Amino acid sequence: MARHDSRVGYGLPVALALALHVGVVVINVLEFPTSDEEPSSASVVKATLVSTETATDQAQRTEAARARAAEREAQEEAAAAERQRQQEAEQAAAEQRAQQAAEQEAARKAAEEARSQAEAEAQRRAEEAAAAEARRQQEEQARQEAEAQRQAQAEAERKQQEEARRQEAEAEAEAKRQEQARQKAKAEAEAKRQEEARQQAEAEAEAKRQEEARQQAEAEAERKRQEEARRQAEAEAERKRREEAAKRAAEAASNSLDSAIAGEEEAIANARQAEQASNSFQNLVRSAVEQAWIVPPNLSSGVEALVRLTLLPTGELVNTQLVQSSGDAAFDRSVLQAVERAAPFREMQDLPPAAQRRFRDFNLRFKPGDVR
Amino acid sequence: MNDSMSIPHLILNASGVVQFVMLLLIIASVLSWVVIFQRSFVLRRAKRAHKAFEDRFWSGIDLNELYRETPAEQETQGAEHVFRSGFREFNRLLPKTRNPQAILEGVQRSMRVAWSREEERLNLHLIFLATVASASPYIGLFGTVWGIMGSFQSLSMTQQATLATVAPWIAEALIATAMGLFAAIPAVIFYNRLSAASNKLLGKYEDFAEEFHSILHRNLQGRGDQDAA
Repeated sequence: MARHDSRVGYGLPVALALALHVGVVVINVLEFPTSDEEPSSASVVKATLVSTETATDQAQRTEAARARAAEREAQEEAAAAERQRQQEAEQAAAEQRAQQAAEQEAARKAAEEARSQAEAEAQRRAEEAAAAEARRQQEEQARQEAEAQRQAQAEAERKQQEEARRQEAEAEAEAKRQEQARQKAKAEAEAKRQEEARQQAEAEAEAKRQEEARQQAEAEAERKRQEEARRQAEAEAERKRREEAAKRAAEAASNSLDSAIAGEEEAIANARQAEQASNSFQNLVRSAVEQAWIVPPNLSSGVEALVRLTLLPTGELVNTQLVQSSGDAAFDRSVLQAVERAAPFREMQDLPPAAQRRFRDFNLRFKPGDVR
Repeated sequence: MNDSMSIPHLILNASGVVQFVMLLLIIASVLSWVVIFQRSFVLRRAKRAHKAFEDRFWSGIDLNELYRETPAEQETQGAEHVFRSGFREFNRLLPKTRNPQAILEGVQRSMRVAWSREEERLNLHLIFLATVASASPYIGLFGTVWGIMGSFQSLSMTQQATLATVAPWIAEALIATAMGLFAAIPAVIFYNRLSAASNKLLGKYEDFAEEFHSILHRNLQGRGDQDAA
């Protein structure tokens, strides 16, 4: 026996057994069967709310959605234009401000220049006056000297007595003439100097004026350039806008189907949102109707009826209409009776107005589940 | 299936007793599979050896030659073991007594002993398989009961007894039963299968012993007649 056992060893069986268990564990860990069963509806009756949108309604909604989209687009465009205009106005204002500032600067400069010029003029005048005074004093002195001389001469003449009266007179005349000539020369020089000063001032003024003119021209040129740039930018923006609009138009034209789909999607999204908002109401209506429903016996399998309910905002039932008959008169009758029995859905008043509108008119699908 | 309900997670979060039970069951399962594989190999080999020996035996070979073919010290198995012990006893008794009845009785006794040894060899460890098959469901059930007990004890602490609070505990407890069944089911199946195979083989050995006995009896009968004549 021992020999036999050594012949059929335990090594291989142990390895096989361990491999088997490891395999089982690995299978368990790696892919444990994920069983996500559909949660079966516990209620016997399946009355489900079906889409409230009818075909025509859908079209209308699509249209409305499209119109809304177009409106929104237009609004956006207008807003963009407004924004642009505002921007432009701002720019213009800024330019104007800059211009004004430049002008003011120029004016200030001019005034300053004028002031400095006036000052210079005044100084010059004062100098001139001082010079004139000095000259006058000199003249006076000279005259006094001359007078003294003359007196001395006259004295001497008088002393000489008539000796050189003619000579004296002559000399006097001569002196007078000389004096006159000197005065005249002096006056002439003065006049000349004045003339020169005037000319200089004039030249200065001219230069200043030219400078001003240049500055003004520059400012003008600057303004013009800015204006040009602004106009260009405007043109560019205009062009872009036009292009954008054209593109949009082209897109809208070419993708009318897309837009229709988008509109539909939007409508569906809206419906879904409203559905979420009024989920409780929907459940309530469903459970109320289910409770009130007395399912007739001996039903053939697969019967199904669609009932259209029209409600007031207060939740009262206005009308029930069989949209899709089950083909079983008793079943149809029971369904209508159930709706009427469950009728005033007072909770409708608690709904938000949007959801209320949605539930003013809706369909209920009646489908007996596993009838117990 | 969320992570907290995966099987490894449940096993690791179980209470000590339940974990011990699980460990015990895993060991039992591994050992039972070892036995299953080992016994399968042994039985298959024994079956093949028996077929080969029977072919040789009925090929018309001289029995003395067949007996001498294998050295006396080498231990043999199966029908060959039965044949050798019987033939050895026959050869030993033949010179000592002239009573054929006594010789046949001695041969039969020694062959029964050999057969019984073979039975023991073939059925080795099959009892362990039977034990695992019958006991492991109970062990697993014990783990489950213990786990559910713990779950209810902890449930008494909580304010609300929702399904979500009970579910992990019960799932965890039920894993013990699952493991017990996982160990027990193969053990049951293979116990039945292997014990049937070994019984069949033992029946063949018995048949062979009877046939060999009848051959010896025929020989002795002929010799008795000669002696009488």
